[in-house]
Amino acid sequence: MDVLNLAHGSFYMLGAYAAFAVVSKTGNFWLALLLGPLSVGLIGGLMELLLFRRLYQRGHLAQVLLSFGFTLVFVDLVRSGFGPRTYGIAPPPGLGGAFHVAGASFTKYDVFILGVSVLVALVLLVAWRLLKVGAVLRAGVSDKEMVGLLGIDLGLVFTLTFAFGAALAGLGGVVAAPFVAIYPAMDDNVLILALVVVVLGGLGSIEGALAGSLLIGLAFSFGTFYLQEFSIAIVFALMAAVLVLRPRGLFGIRQ
Amino acid sequence: MPAVLLAVLISLPFWTPSRYWVSVAIQALILAVFAMSLDLLLGFGGMPSFGHAAFYGMGAYACGKLFPQLTGAGLLAFLVAGMAAGVIAALPIGALAVRARGIYFLMLTLAFAQMVWGLAFQWTSFTGGTEGMSGIPQAVPDWLQEQGQNLWPALRTAGPFYVVALTVAVLAFAGLTAITRSPFGRALEGIRENEGRMRALGYPTYRYRLAAFVIAAAFAGLAGATTALYNGYANPSQLYWHTSGLVLIAVIVGGTRSLLGAVLGAFFVTIVQLVISSYTEHWQLLLGAVFIAVVLFLPGGFISLGRLGWLKR
Amino acid sequence: MRLEAQEISVRFGALAALASVSLDVQSGERRALIGPNGAGKTTLFNVIAGELRPAAGSVLLDGRDVTSLPTWRRARLSLGRTFQRSALFPRLSVGENLELAVRRGALVGRRRAVPERLEAAGLSAVAERPASSLGHGEQRALEIELALACEPRLLLLDEPMAGLSGAERQAALERLRNLPRSVTLVIVEHDIDAVFAIAERITVLDHGVKIADGTPAEVRADPRVQEVYLGRP
Repeated sequence: MDVLNLAHGSFYMLGAYAAFAVVSKTGNFWLALLLGPLSVGLIGGLMELLLFRRLYQRGHLAQVLLSFGFTLVFVDLVRSGFGPRTYGIAPPPGLGGAFHVAGASFTKYDVFILGVSVLVALVLLVAWRLLKVGAVLRAGVSDKEMVGLLGIDLGLVFTLTFAFGAALAGLGGVVAAPFVAIYPAMDDNVLILALVVVVLGGLGSIEGALAGSLLIGLAFSFGTFYLQEFSIAIVFALMAAVLVLRPRGLFGIRQ
Repeated sequence: MPAVLLAVLISLPFWTPSRYWVSVAIQALILAVFAMSLDLLLGFGGMPSFGHAAFYGMGAYACGKLFPQLTGAGLLAFLVAGMAAGVIAALPIGALAVRARGIYFLMLTLAFAQMVWGLAFQWTSFTGGTEGMSGIPQAVPDWLQEQGQNLWPALRTAGPFYVVALTVAVLAFAGLTAITRSPFGRALEGIRENEGRMRALGYPTYRYRLAAFVIAAAFAGLAGATTALYNGYANPSQLYWHTSGLVLIAVIVGGTRSLLGAVLGAFFVTIVQLVISSYTEHWQLLLGAVFIAVVLFLPGGFISLGRLGWLKR
Repeated sequence: MRLEAQEISVRFGALAALASVSLDVQSGERRALIGPNGAGKTTLFNVIAGELRPAAGSVLLDGRDVTSLPTWRRARLSLGRTFQRSALFPRLSVGENLELAVRRGALVGRRRAVPERLEAAGLSAVAERPASSLGHGEQRALEIELALACEPRLLLLDEPMAGLSGAERQAALERLRNLPRSVTLVIVEHDIDAVFAIAERITVLDHGVKIADGTPAEVRADPRVQEVYLGRP
C-alpha cells in the first residue's frame, strides 16, 4: 500500500511481549497466539485510522518520520511496562525438545515455526491472488478516485490492510518469542532485516518478500560461517546492489 | 535571532551554573553541525538521507584510527581528517545513491550506512568492533587550554573544548549559509523543486546533487570528528541508523530549509535526551511524542512558528 | 539553429509511440507540430530535448549529432523548451525562478538580466511572490519566459496557449511573434488559429506516424489530414 512504516518492528516486539504477558499469566501459549496478533492488529488499525491516514498525501518521508517517532514511543512504553530486563518464554508443551534426522538435530519448535511460516505465506499468496487485494491496493495508491468509483471503500481497505500487516508482525513476534530474547530494543534488528528483505524482493511483491527472506537467510548464515567479519556488511551491500541495479527488486513486479 | 542565539552561546561559560550545562551545550553544538549538514541535503537539496550517520561516524573513526599520527599536528588536523573521511566515503556512496529518488534514495542511503556500520561492528581487527576506538585526545591547543583554565577554572577541560565546539559550529553555520545563498544553493533548490526543468535549463543536475551530497558528508564528518575529540572515542553506535534517525528528528522538528531551524532542533533533541533523561527515564517517549506531533501538526518545524504568515508555503 | 530529427522511433512496451518520424526545421523557421492527442508530439519533443532516448534515429542541431548528449548539454547548445504542464519552481519566488533561467546552468554572473525578463513577461509586480501563488495565466507567462530567458536559438513550445483566456492568448501570441529570427520555433498547439497565425510550415502526426508536412495551405488541403481531423468521430 506504499506506506513505509518503521514501527513495523515495534509491532513484532509488541507481539513478543504480548506472548510473554499471556504466557506468564495463563501459561497458555496458544491463547497468546490468538490474542497477540489480535491486539497488535488493533493497535495498527487505530494508528492507520487516526494518524497515518493524514499523511498519505505528504509522501514517504513524513511516514518514515511519524513511524520513527512511534518506534521511540513503543520502546519506552514497553520499557516502562516490563522494565529493561530480558525475558524468555518456554516453547508450549509438546513442542519442546529435539529430534534427529539424518544426523542433524532440530527442535520441534523449529518445525512449528516452519509450519506457521509456510501457512502464513500460503494464506497471503491466496489472498493476494484470489481476492485481488494486491490489485486493489496498487490501484488505490495510483488512482484513489477510480477505485472509489468501483464501489470499494478504499479507506476501509487501507485500514484493514495496515491492521493485517501489524497483526502479521505481531504473529511473527509471538511465534518468535520462545526462541529469542525479549527485550525493549528487539525491534531494531528485525525491522532493518525486514526492510532489506522487502527491498530485495521488490516493493509491493509478496512472492518477492518470500524469496527475499530466503535469500537473506542463506546469505546471512553463509556469511556468518565463512566471512565472520563481513556478514552484516554483505547483507547490506546486497541490498544496496539491488537498489542500484534493479530498484524493483530481484523478483519485482514487471511494469 | 541568530545574533541573540550567538550572544547567549558566547556568554554561556560566564554565567552557567555548572560543568554539566557546558557539556550539554557542547553536545548540542556538535549535533547542530551534524543537523545543518543534513539540512543542506534534505531541506535544500530535497534528498531525504536516512544514512547520514555513516559520514558522521566516518569522521569519528578517522580520528580514532589516525590519532597516533595526528596528535602532533593539532586540532585542525583532526577536523580536516574528519571532513576528508566524510568526503572519501561520500564520493562512491553518493555517486550511486543520488541517481535514486525519494524512497529509493532513502533506502539506499540506509543500506550504505548500515553496511559501514556492519564493518565497524564486525571488522574488529580494523575498527575495534563493538568497543570501537578510544583514547582520542581532545587536541585543544595549549594556549586555549591555559586561557580557558584561567577564565573558568570550575569548568576544567569542558571550558576550553566549549570554545572549540562553538567555533566549529559558528564556522559551519557561516560556511553552510554561504553555500545555501550562493548560486549553487539556489540551483540546488531549483533541483529540489523541479529537476526536469533544471535539466532543460542546462543544469547538470546529477553533478549538483552529488556535490551537495559530498559537501553535506564533509560537514557531517566535521561533526563526527568533533564528537570523537570531545568524548575521546569512536564507536559503532555513531554509525547506526538510530543516529541517522535522531539527526533527522532534529532537522524536522527544528524546521527544514533553515539552518537556524536545524540548530534549534539540535538543541531541542539534545536537551530532551540529556536533561530530561536525568529527571525521567522516558525521554524517548517524550521525544517520540513531540516528534509525532510536529510531523502531524507543524510540518514546517519550530522555525515555522516564528515566520507564520511571512510566506505561506 | 537548424533542427533535424532523422527517422526517430520510440517504443513504450508494445506501443510504437513514434515510428520513423523525421523533421527538418530550417534556421529561423516557425514550425507547428499538430495532431490528435496521443499522436506523439510531446514524445518527439522529449526526444529532441534529450529526456528520452529513441530506439532508433538521430537528432542533429546545426548538423551536429546530439543523440547521445544529455538534456543539459543540449540546453547549453541553446535548445530551450516549455512544458505542457507548467514546470516552474513552485516554492521559489518568480524572480528566483528567472534567476535560475538566466544563469543557464552556470554558477556565475548574468543575474542582472532578471528585471528585464520580469518586465518582458509582465511579471514585475509579482516578482517577490512564490511561483505557486500565481494564477494560471501568469504561470504560463512565466513558463514561456523561463525558456526565453535562456536565449535559445531553438525553442520547443509545448501547448503554450493551453488554458489561457482570450486576452492572455493574444499577449502570448504577440510575445512569440515578436521573437527575432535568430530563434527557430517549433510549436505544439491545439489552438488552430494560433497555429495558422504563427507557423510557416506545419507537420502533422497521427498515432506516431508523420502523415503530412507542408505549408499551411497544403496541409489544410491534404485529404489525410482532413480525415484525421474531420473524418473520425
